[in-house]
Amino acid sequence: MSSLQEKIEQYRQLFNDLAAKTKNIKELEELKQAFLSRKKGYITLLFDELKQLSPEEKKSAGVVLNDFKMEVQQTLTELEQKCLKPKAEKISPDLTLPGRKIYWGAPHPITLFQRKIEKIFISMGFAVEEGPEIETDYYNFEALNFPPYHPARDSWDTLYINDRLLLRTHTSPVQIRVMEKKKPPIRIIIPGKVYRRETPDPTHLPMFHQVEGLVVDRGITFAHLKGTLEYFIRALFGEKIKIRFRPSFFPFTEPSAEVDIECIACHGQDAQCRVCGGTGWKEILGAGLVDPQVFKNVNIDPEKYSGWAFGLGIDRTAMLAYEIPEMRYFYENDLRFLRQFNRR
Amino acid sequence: MNISYDWLKEYLDLTVLPEELAKYFDQIGLMIESIKKVNGDTVYEIETYANRPDTLGHLGVARELATLLGLPLKTPSWPLNELDQATFDLVDIQVLDSQLCPRYCGLVVKSVMVGPSPEWLKRRIEACGLRPINNVVDISNYVCFSLGQPLHTFDFGRLREARIIVRRARKGETLLTLDGQLVELTPDMLVIADESKPVALAGIIGGEESAITEKTTDVFIESANFDPVSIRLTAKKLGLTTDASYRFERGVDINTAPLGAMMAASLLSRCGGKASRGLIDVYPSQRKPKSVPLRLKRIAELLGIEIPEEFVVRTLTALGLKLNEQKPGVWVAEIPSFRVDLEREADLIEEIARFFGYDHIPSEVTPARSFELPASQEQDCLWFLKEILFHYGFDEVINFSFADQQKETIWQTGYQPIKLQNPISSRASILRTSILPGLVENAVWNYNREAEGVHIFETGKIYFWEEDGKQREEWHLGLITSGLKEGKAWNQPSRETDYFFLKGAIEDLFSYLGYDVPSFEPEDHSFFQSGQSVKISIKNEPIGYLGLLKPETRKAYELEKLAYGGELNLTALFGRQPRAFTFTAVPRYPGTVRDLSFQVEAQINFQDIYSQLRKLNVPFLERFEIYDRFEGGSLAPGQVSYSVRFFFRHESRTLLTEEVDRAMLNIISQLKSTLKIQLR
Repeated sequence: MSSLQEKIEQYRQLFNDLAAKTKNIKELEELKQAFLSRKKGYITLLFDELKQLSPEEKKSAGVVLNDFKMEVQQTLTELEQKCLKPKAEKISPDLTLPGRKIYWGAPHPITLFQRKIEKIFISMGFAVEEGPEIETDYYNFEALNFPPYHPARDSWDTLYINDRLLLRTHTSPVQIRVMEKKKPPIRIIIPGKVYRRETPDPTHLPMFHQVEGLVVDRGITFAHLKGTLEYFIRALFGEKIKIRFRPSFFPFTEPSAEVDIECIACHGQDAQCRVCGGTGWKEILGAGLVDPQVFKNVNIDPEKYSGWAFGLGIDRTAMLAYEIPEMRYFYENDLRFLRQFNRR
Repeated sequence: MNISYDWLKEYLDLTVLPEELAKYFDQIGLMIESIKKVNGDTVYEIETYANRPDTLGHLGVARELATLLGLPLKTPSWPLNELDQATFDLVDIQVLDSQLCPRYCGLVVKSVMVGPSPEWLKRRIEACGLRPINNVVDISNYVCFSLGQPLHTFDFGRLREARIIVRRARKGETLLTLDGQLVELTPDMLVIADESKPVALAGIIGGEESAITEKTTDVFIESANFDPVSIRLTAKKLGLTTDASYRFERGVDINTAPLGAMMAASLLSRCGGKASRGLIDVYPSQRKPKSVPLRLKRIAELLGIEIPEEFVVRTLTALGLKLNEQKPGVWVAEIPSFRVDLEREADLIEEIARFFGYDHIPSEVTPARSFELPASQEQDCLWFLKEILFHYGFDEVINFSFADQQKETIWQTGYQPIKLQNPISSRASILRTSILPGLVENAVWNYNREAEGVHIFETGKIYFWEEDGKQREEWHLGLITSGLKEGKAWNQPSRETDYFFLKGAIEDLFSYLGYDVPSFEPEDHSFFQSGQSVKISIKNEPIGYLGLLKPETRKAYELEKLAYGGELNLTALFGRQPRAFTFTAVPRYPGTVRDLSFQVEAQINFQDIYSQLRKLNVPFLERFEIYDRFEGGSLAPGQVSYSVRFFFRHESRTLLTEEVDRAMLNIISQLKSTLKIQLR
């Protein structure tokens, strides 16, 4: 056997090895170039060598070389078809590994709960109003029928800025501001921050959030107040919640009421309940018909118009709804607490 | 206020058991806070209201229950052992300020044996939550908690010249009170004085010197009425609250004073005492009862239910009102003096509602004659802004509006802070003038509790004095990003946050909310490291800033990690009208993309290039994007290279190559002349 034939044999071996490893079009193209390139392909080079042989050697080796070339071409064609065929995609050896997540920020629970409340009232045709947090004694107390020096002010312990200005102790001054500039019908809620000079404890902080509601129109009654607040509380706490209205006192409403809901921690079953103290009830809001003096203070005729108002502590109600034992959790802003509320 | 079941029985023939009685209290708004058993008696702790001083005694509470239960109210009699001497022969009472003391009743009881109270009285005193002291003191407390009429008893022998003078204190006078305090008196305070000096602070507390002791035999009983405002001001000024001042500042019934004195004298008679004849009653200007009109029709108009006339008359009569019918369904009600809260028709309607039962008033939908637009544009914007930040992975926090004045000086916000007159603590003595300090505290709190990254925002107000001395509240947004943005996972490495993450979020806020693209100009700010912050403005109006927090600030708060912060003035931002949105037609013809790489002097920043590019007036240019920036390497020092991709499109046909070529030449020539760019 001539040395050329041995060489051909070696290249055949090489080609078969490479062909077996060829997996894609790119590798196929490289293989094709390596063997069939018109300038430097192995087979081209082998044909160059063939030209230099004697005629007999040329004849026998030529047959072998031509066979090899055809073999290569055929294998390449087969490989090409194989490579072009769509191959089954593989994702990962373990499809149970955790997925890639995009973190969605958490709203503050107060924002979340306030929004829930707003949505219920907006669905009943209420508008959302706002007002300043720095108020005058007139808007915070006097216009709301708190006589100067009256002990009624004691429940609204106040942080003062100077003799004229204070931090509002409730959202009620916004009632006055709205009624001063707008004539009935009025149908609004007023969410916002309020301030009291309270020594911090689990249910008292010097700053918290309230939402105030006010309806003024002809013919508004206590029955309307009851019906609307009952609907609101059911929308917030569920259809089956027990609700109780009982008489109370606020200078700016007459008659006044406080509204309790059944304790959602013990349902009145636990005499030692930490949430309701065993009474089975939890006070959630104060309400009443707008006091005629308040109407007079804003030049609305109480003989023509009547109205109802309510005020609810957002923090404390959210504490009930989410079973949060301490009010200060809201303002520590611990991410491990806050991030629980991106469950909405 | 503690109410004893046995004590109520002095006024009512109760048939309901103590446990059952509890629910009746609740129905009429006398909320029970706790129920205790004391010496076999049931004691209800009830919540009372500032406008109902009548419920600060058992008689008043009994009257409420009598009305509710339909029981008659008993009136016990108070017989006396009398002396031959008339009271005015024994004591001289002068009221010099009848404004502050509209009524003063007094009498003397002689030969009293001061000593322990009888058992029944001790039980009453203990039911009130007090400790029995001696019969004289216990009797005055018993009267106070029965009638709501505070009494004061003096050792008659200690009153100089047997004289009682009700007057304002003189400058420089002092009083050693029963609880051992030396009180400096001022002329706005009303005192009870004897011939020489004050012996009691009227309606608040007695003096040590004239107090009842074991040696006392003759007692002077004071049962008076004092001006609520004056009592409140004095009590507040001295920081003194007593059972007496608590009642007087709410308004004690002016007509109970004589009964209070007689009741005490009668009880002292049982302790061997003999009362002087004839009560001295200084009551110069008699008060007329208030008259309040009431219309049956109005009750239904306000409560939403028709209440039977018979119920209205029965209830109000039982409460002590006299109804004079003017015409059918219209009355004028004469209000008993003990009901200081009843002044208007609405007050009477509340009484009717209370006893009718709030439970029996129907529940109805509030009718609407008009609907309001649900929320202002600002409130919508605010919520959408939060949603954008949630999407960026920022958590929302809410901090107190208070700030530590000391700590805020580090920030130099440039605002004149608003100080509180009576702050809860020195660390919360001013109102915040920036959102960022709170966020830094939150970051530290969380880093101390296992957090690896903190990305938080807060929307809320800042507060400051304006130059003209007016207070101002501004809505602000504060953001902070620090530490790991994404933790290490099996398929990706962890990633630190950076300045451009924060800037991207802020840029998106503007664009999603429909505002013009703001400009970001490098500018130093007291919050940030020098050269590492930008000012954000829209059309030359500053709207905020962002940058890398100063190391000094981080050190002051012990925040170890780098933190990038930003603050936007939302009042200013939302004051601008966002662009009205209408859709843009989706392109139907293919666009053409051209890239341009050029270098410029390094002092020209991206904002300059961006502004120039935005100003270009080039036909068919749809938009452009910067996709590469580098300096160093093959570039000469002081040079920066940018690559910008331009997108061209014609809305109604395919663009010709020559048109795009011409546009590119136009761009290049403009940039060459304005920014001196060199093509690469």
